Amino acid sequence: MEYNGGAVVAMVGKDCVAIASDKRFGLQLLTLATDFEKIYKMTDKCYIGLAGLATDVQTLSQELKLKVDLYKLREEREITPKKFAHLVSSTLYDHRWGPYFCEPCIAGLDSDNKPFICSTDLIGCINFAKDFVVCGTTARELYGICESFWEPDLGPEELFEVISQSLLNAFDRDSQSGWGAVVHIITPDKIITRHLKTRQD
Amino acid sequence: MISEPIPTAQPARQMANRFDPYEDNGGTTMALAGEDFCIVAADTRQSDGYHINCRYAPKAHQLSDKTVIGTSGFYADGICLVKRIKQRMEWYYHQHDKVMSTPALAQLLSVMLYQKRFFPYYCFTILGGLDEEGKGCVFDYDSVGNVERVKYQAEGSGKELLQPFLDSQIGLKNRATDDVLDLTEEKAIKIVKDAFSSVTERDIHTGDCVEIYIIRKDGIECEKYPLKRD
Amino acid sequence: MFLTRSEYDRGVNTFSPEGRLFQVEYAIEAIKMGSTAIGIQTSEGVILAVEKRITSTLLEPSSIEKILEIDSHIGCAMSGLNADARTMIDHARVQAQNHTFVYDEPIKVESITQAVCDLALRFGEGAQGEESIMSRPFGVALLIAGCDENGPQLFHADPSGTFTKYQAKAIGSGSEGAQTELQENYHKSLTLKEAEVLSLKVLKQVMEEKVNSVNVQLCSVTPEKGYRLYTEEEVNEIISAI
Repeated sequence: MEYNGGAVVAMVGKDCVAIASDKRFGLQLLTLATDFEKIYKMTDKCYIGLAGLATDVQTLSQELKLKVDLYKLREEREITPKKFAHLVSSTLYDHRWGPYFCEPCIAGLDSDNKPFICSTDLIGCINFAKDFVVCGTTARELYGICESFWEPDLGPEELFEVISQSLLNAFDRDSQSGWGAVVHIITPDKIITRHLKTRQD
Repeated sequence: MISEPIPTAQPARQMANRFDPYEDNGGTTMALAGEDFCIVAADTRQSDGYHINCRYAPKAHQLSDKTVIGTSGFYADGICLVKRIKQRMEWYYHQHDKVMSTPALAQLLSVMLYQKRFFPYYCFTILGGLDEEGKGCVFDYDSVGNVERVKYQAEGSGKELLQPFLDSQIGLKNRATDDVLDLTEEKAIKIVKDAFSSVTERDIHTGDCVEIYIIRKDGIECEKYPLKRD
Repeated sequence: MFLTRSEYDRGVNTFSPEGRLFQVEYAIEAIKMGSTAIGIQTSEGVILAVEKRITSTLLEPSSIEKILEIDSHIGCAMSGLNADARTMIDHARVQAQNHTFVYDEPIKVESITQAVCDLALRFGEGAQGEESIMSRPFGVALLIAGCDENGPQLFHADPSGTFTKYQAKAIGSGSEGAQTELQENYHKSLTLKEAEVLSLKVLKQVMEEKVNSVNVQLCSVTPEKGYRLYTEEEVNEIISAI
């Protein structure tokens, strides 16, 4: 998990969810790229952020996208975030003894536009949270600051402010993540995507 | 017929039996410097792995009318260090006929820690107090005496959780506007309490109670604030 | 009188029946043969002035050093056996540097004086029979001038290890006359400039030769600039003001 570094966080708001990640791609302490987004769109209202070994992040995101698309073709409906979470979980557990080295954070709105977030460990143990989920090398920093900043029933703009401040201040204390950030706010009628400029060190 | 005992392979647990003189008792400490005051805070839980040894084991100690020290890490090393500092302060007082100032103490502490470079005190220390001009000052140490004068700092098991919060609230990092921080005592105490409540939520080695020392020019006050005990 | 004394003046740490340590007293006598040194404390700083005895025209005056720096805020003038002063000042310098290293602050003038005096009685063997580091008392007296949080201060340390704080003090061969002179002319509102002039005026009266920039040495210790030894030009200027 410390090979490439990275930070992902997702938060619940009032009728919306937010998911954010840093953009660093590095090899241990060497930063190779600063445009590596770790959040992937699965459906219109469900995103997944993957922190961990970059090769596994890409492979897993593609495998999941494939499974989500196949689901849509077979079932003729969009997968709900909760079902997607279980799909992620079972996909990861398929590799119980040779796992993908990634920790996912999932954020989305279900068919009733109810917010849903969860995270899992690298072998698919799901953590359903009502407030926020974090993963990556910045997890401890994020836990501390989100615990202070998050509060229930935040509107989309407030949620954006809270998740951005949490992520920025957290990854500034982690040498393995940072170098820009991206935030997606998922609301019932639109997705707001914002790229954050941050300190480059 | 004499049956000799068959030589068996030497067990490989030799390594595990090696004496380990250190323990990690966890605990979080923090300090922040105001214009004319300083705050040093430390939780009072002492743990060993998943076990809680004690719910009230103070980690912050008053050294003089102007200085408070907070230690986390190995509790025994912490109290031993504090004892030795107090002894050195007593000597200094009699030799130079004055109470050691906070910056002098800060340098002494660095030297004392470095003197044990190859068998260190396993503790992470924060020194807070007022300097000779009456300004708040905070000194942060690693276990072998690297010292830095800072505005605010968190140390111990919850430092990763606490520091970004302080960066944001006191350091005003990642703000677009040129906010100026007017850090009053009340505001600072509120930040400290919030910070410790949050850390207690996620760090199992922190909790039970936080002792907040407020250092002003006319004396030191200690406030106890209960934390979650789970 | 001399006979009774000689019984007890052999051992350096043997009291006479009257309770005197003759070797220490002799050491104090040695200073009275030394060149004169003067220290004057004012509210602006401290002045140290010494005479150099140029015993030969072939002697290089700059090789005689009787005022030395202990730390950037402490200076020292000596009278008596100059060689002994080296040991003391070396010790004082180490103490001062060590204090700065450990406490990140300049050492107090009184503390450095105490540190020097701690050395003074380390002659003879120790109480536990340790090897002694010195065979006899120091034959030198020091005037230690410095500025710290308590302002400009002047201390006098003698071979017995006693130290005393002074506003103005003279040591050495001309000390008696000089001390009387200082007593008459010293007042608390003395400025540093006046003290410079006074110190040389007093030296002039007790010195056999005529005062010039070569046979006196002058330094000041002020809160602003710390220890500073005067150049020949500066000394000349002061001489002309006498």
